[in-house]
Amino acid sequence: MRMMRSTLALGAVLALGLTACGTSTPAETEAPAPADTTTAAAPVEETTPADETAPAEETTPADEGETTDGDVPQGNGETIYLVSKGFQHRFWQAVKEGAEQAGEEFNYKIEFVGPQAETQVTEQLNMLQTALDTKPAAIGLAALDSSAATPLLDQIAAADIPLIAFDSGVDTDHPLTTVSTDNAAAAGEAAKHMVELVGNEGTVGLVCHDEVSVTGKQRCTGFQDWMKENAPEINVLTPQVAGEVGLAADTAKSMIQANPDMVGIYGTNEAAASGVIQGASETGADIVVVGFDSGKTQLEAIRDGRQAGAVTQAPVLMGYETVVAAIKAINGQELPKVIDSGYQWYDASNMDDEEIAGNLYE
Amino acid sequence: MTKLLELKNVSKTFPGVKALQNVQLDLHAGEVLGLCGENGAGKSTLMKILTGIYTPDPGAEIWLQGTKVDVRDVNHARELGLSIIHQELNMVPDLTVAQNLYLGRPGSSKGGFVNDKDLNKMAGDLFDRLGMDINPKSYIRDLSVARQQMVEIARALDFDSKILVMDEPTAALTLQETDALFGMIRDFVTPETGLIYISHRMPEIEEITDRVTVLRDGEYVGTVVTDDVEMREIISMMVGREVSGEARPRTTVESDEVLLKVEGLNTKHLLRDISFEVRKGEVLGFAGLMGAGRTEVARAVFGADPKQSGDTYLHGQKVNIRTAADAVRNGIGYLSEDRKTFGLLLEQDIKQNAVMAAMKDFNIGGFILDGKIKTVGQEMSDRLRVKTPSVNQLLGKLSGGNQQKVVIAKWLVRNCDVLIFDEPTRGIDVGAKEEIYELIEQLSGQGKAIIVISSELPEVLRVSHRIAVMANGRITGFLDNADADQENIMELATVGKTQVVDGAVA
Amino acid sequence: MSTSAEGTRAESSSGLSRFLKSSIQQVFVFAALILIYIFFMFAAPNFAEPKIALDIVQQAAYIGVMALGATFIIATGGIDLSVGTGMTLVAVMAGVFLSGDWMNLPLGAGLVLILLVGAVMGLLNGLNISVLGLPPFIATLAMMMVARGLALVISGKATISIANQGYVWLANGEIIPGLKNASLIFILMAIVAGVLLNKTLLGRYAIAIGSNEEATRLSGVNVKFWKTMVYVTAGVFMALGAILYSARFGFVQPAEGVGFELNVIAAVVIGGTSLSGGRANIIGTVVGALIMETLKKGLQMMGIAQEWQLVVTGIVVLIAVFVDIVRRKRASAV
Repeated sequence: MRMMRSTLALGAVLALGLTACGTSTPAETEAPAPADTTTAAAPVEETTPADETAPAEETTPADEGETTDGDVPQGNGETIYLVSKGFQHRFWQAVKEGAEQAGEEFNYKIEFVGPQAETQVTEQLNMLQTALDTKPAAIGLAALDSSAATPLLDQIAAADIPLIAFDSGVDTDHPLTTVSTDNAAAAGEAAKHMVELVGNEGTVGLVCHDEVSVTGKQRCTGFQDWMKENAPEINVLTPQVAGEVGLAADTAKSMIQANPDMVGIYGTNEAAASGVIQGASETGADIVVVGFDSGKTQLEAIRDGRQAGAVTQAPVLMGYETVVAAIKAINGQELPKVIDSGYQWYDASNMDDEEIAGNLYE
Repeated sequence: MTKLLELKNVSKTFPGVKALQNVQLDLHAGEVLGLCGENGAGKSTLMKILTGIYTPDPGAEIWLQGTKVDVRDVNHARELGLSIIHQELNMVPDLTVAQNLYLGRPGSSKGGFVNDKDLNKMAGDLFDRLGMDINPKSYIRDLSVARQQMVEIARALDFDSKILVMDEPTAALTLQETDALFGMIRDFVTPETGLIYISHRMPEIEEITDRVTVLRDGEYVGTVVTDDVEMREIISMMVGREVSGEARPRTTVESDEVLLKVEGLNTKHLLRDISFEVRKGEVLGFAGLMGAGRTEVARAVFGADPKQSGDTYLHGQKVNIRTAADAVRNGIGYLSEDRKTFGLLLEQDIKQNAVMAAMKDFNIGGFILDGKIKTVGQEMSDRLRVKTPSVNQLLGKLSGGNQQKVVIAKWLVRNCDVLIFDEPTRGIDVGAKEEIYELIEQLSGQGKAIIVISSELPEVLRVSHRIAVMANGRITGFLDNADADQENIMELATVGKTQVVDGAVA
Repeated sequence: MSTSAEGTRAESSSGLSRFLKSSIQQVFVFAALILIYIFFMFAAPNFAEPKIALDIVQQAAYIGVMALGATFIIATGGIDLSVGTGMTLVAVMAGVFLSGDWMNLPLGAGLVLILLVGAVMGLLNGLNISVLGLPPFIATLAMMMVARGLALVISGKATISIANQGYVWLANGEIIPGLKNASLIFILMAIVAGVLLNKTLLGRYAIAIGSNEEATRLSGVNVKFWKTMVYVTAGVFMALGAILYSARFGFVQPAEGVGFELNVIAAVVIGGTSLSGGRANIIGTVVGALIMETLKKGLQMMGIAQEWQLVVTGIVVLIAVFVDIVRRKRASAV
């Protein structure tokens, strides 16, 4: 009996192990794809000003960034610890690549960690605690919940470790600077293109992936605010939250069915936008879908016309700029309050352009 | 003698059922009143009305020492001095004796804090007063059922009860423990108090009660003074017919063919060197005190518990039985002493329970033959005279005797050659007992080998052709029915441990 | 003791009333579904259109199919927390088998392998529970984590697209015009599950084990084997759910599925299957899944924020279980 038990248990473990080994190989072969794009990331900022109305233009650190690179002092392999919001998503992988690129360039060791899901606030705090405990030269944080992190941020300040916020801001004065996409402005950009595509009338819906993080909120409210100011004739529905493809699809479908004059829906990330596309196609209605970020399904949908276009951030640059800001902070250099890492509108017409393709990931 | 308690005109109607009809009962101060009746006669319902668990139909009257009272609920009943010790114990196994004693009682905590030291002291004092030797700090789960029962009794006595009701208190007690219980009952009864004693065991009724009130089918049959009547007469009142006293099997074993043979059975904890054989058509009784290892033998032979060593032979062939499934495949059926835990699916119906051990005959390629199940279930139900409106009745709604019949049906449908009955009539009323005995007789007549384990010596003597007596995990002797009586069985059952080890009995 | 005899007499009623008694739970959940539906017909714009009903069935399909499998597990008194992320892992494997970028297997072979993956995951749960003796809660909790991790590892954390047209057709095609195949598969699987539960040894033993495992074992039933089979069966239903979910979109996102298990359990429980085992109800599970989806759809069409949809769904689960408890208490008080 006991023999049988352990054999079975062993079998169970083996079976799981084999599945993992047998199928993880293709994943690895695919992995280098985004890596190729890293070199193309740097020029991104230059293309951002293409949108005349984008407020990003003024703050775009493009030229500044390029020129100051030379002033960045070399390190001696000290550690810069970056606590991101996640690691599974390609966005964070791209941020990590940019960060490591900067680390290599300036001789710093980069520790890049993040919780499994963007809902795991405590898990992120634990990681931040770990970061603090290892006493790195600087810490970068993409806070999931900035108020929850405050006590730890106080400790970091007390330990005299420079703190750089990236991706989304922190509600305290601790970070020396914040490297982020101006999500509200980016969402406004999506709204602007939506209006261009549907005209100044009809009902437009929002499927937001998250209403808790600052980023998530900005992506929703930025769109709403732009609409209120610039296209008051358009009826904008109360945003619906759906972070999963299935839920997003069902939500979009319900919106369209309940509102016969629906002309467009905006999804605030890959899952939301992909879900919206499927939901819209199931109703058979002619809906303009505008998204955010990239990812395989959005790229395919934009390419074959099911989706009008999307706004993308520049994650590689964000990682790079975060590390550069950290190095400057370590060396006591002055930093601006906010460093914008940029965003871009892309659609079928420009998505293969080199400057844009670098920030798109499958 | 004054009337301590008088119940008049008590009726209780459940939706669609008249459980009690115009029942009366009176209890004198200073006496023990036996309350007898078959299962379903209404004893428990009556006592639940008395102790505030049920509300009677309008018109019922409860008089306490000449005052008419209206028992509102359980706590009110306690205030009035009415306590009941239920058949099923109400204890929390993971709390200590003292914690259980004072659970939910006012004064056991201060401002939400419980002081275990105080509780232990109070419990210790109580046990001293009652002359019980129980450690208040022991966990209930570590106590034997008998000792748990003593804790229940202590709790009831601690309420300053004037009237105490005991519902089948000895079901799990050994003889000595029963004697100790009777001692406590005698101590409890004073000129101010009275006790109502519910039991199926006639010898206990005879020993402890002063008078006996009998109910049948929810109606009052009569009250007799215990010393004036033979127990047979009380049984007749209960079942409505005559019942014989010292009964013995009416059949003899015809065949010499050994059907089941067990050799050198040992288990890790208790059983040592158990060997016996059962012939075709023979009923082998297993007698012995609680804890002697009778149930353990049954479970080990059936494969329900692991054994250390020992061989089993069926029809002369050695068989390897490691699980219950092995045993059933080889045609051995086991009717557990604890039907509800080990024998029945209470939420399933009669027909499903009846075919549960033989599902291989009731499916084709995994698909169940409901029609066949219904036919066979009906057949069995009729043959064993299960009292039920239909075979779709859920087991939980049957009386103990009828549940037991369904368990028997289960093994008959499986067509087992060997049947092991563990306490076949526990919790079954007197009338139904005889039916079960007759069934066992019929089955042995059909050539089955049967083992009957029982704590009731009259029962062992009634059904067994031969009797194996156990003590301390060993068989201390075999007796032919003709040679056996209660005295020599008890002699073998009470052989001391050292004697057993020395082989003095052999 | 007297109560049992009283019960016996009380039951001596006609077969019809017994039927009503045994199916009262079904009647109750079904009535609840109708009431909720009628409410939304008035409260939500365009909800009264017949295509909405079809949408509800389609959208309930993947949770519904998985809930059918979970009904068997819950009938045994067990629970499966791994069904949500397990579904995602199976979907990722579907991508691995069928995606043009990966193995690109023919559809038939891919489907067999997908179902096999589900069955193997069920088998592992079953063995952990019945042979190693782990409590179902723990065993499937562990499996939930393992499945989530493996889904991310295998997919390389990236979306896998399954461009196989035949695969997508499984969910979105219409064998019966107007009825999506996903809905059709849901209905067919409900019938299969009903037969499995009520007409086969698997269902009978599942209920017997949930009712009294020890008594079932002592009846000579190989409880370990049958319990394992129950989990395997649920694993196959889970794989079907994964097919319906991923085929609808033609791609798989490996980070999804967290929390789906709770929707599955809620559907089963609303349907009147007892979490303590021994009682199961396939029609109830179907209606339970439809109730959840109707609520979601109706509230969405009313434009009510998703937070509130969760609140309402939670309250409905509470009411459903509470009513069931009251009903059963009343039944046993007789």
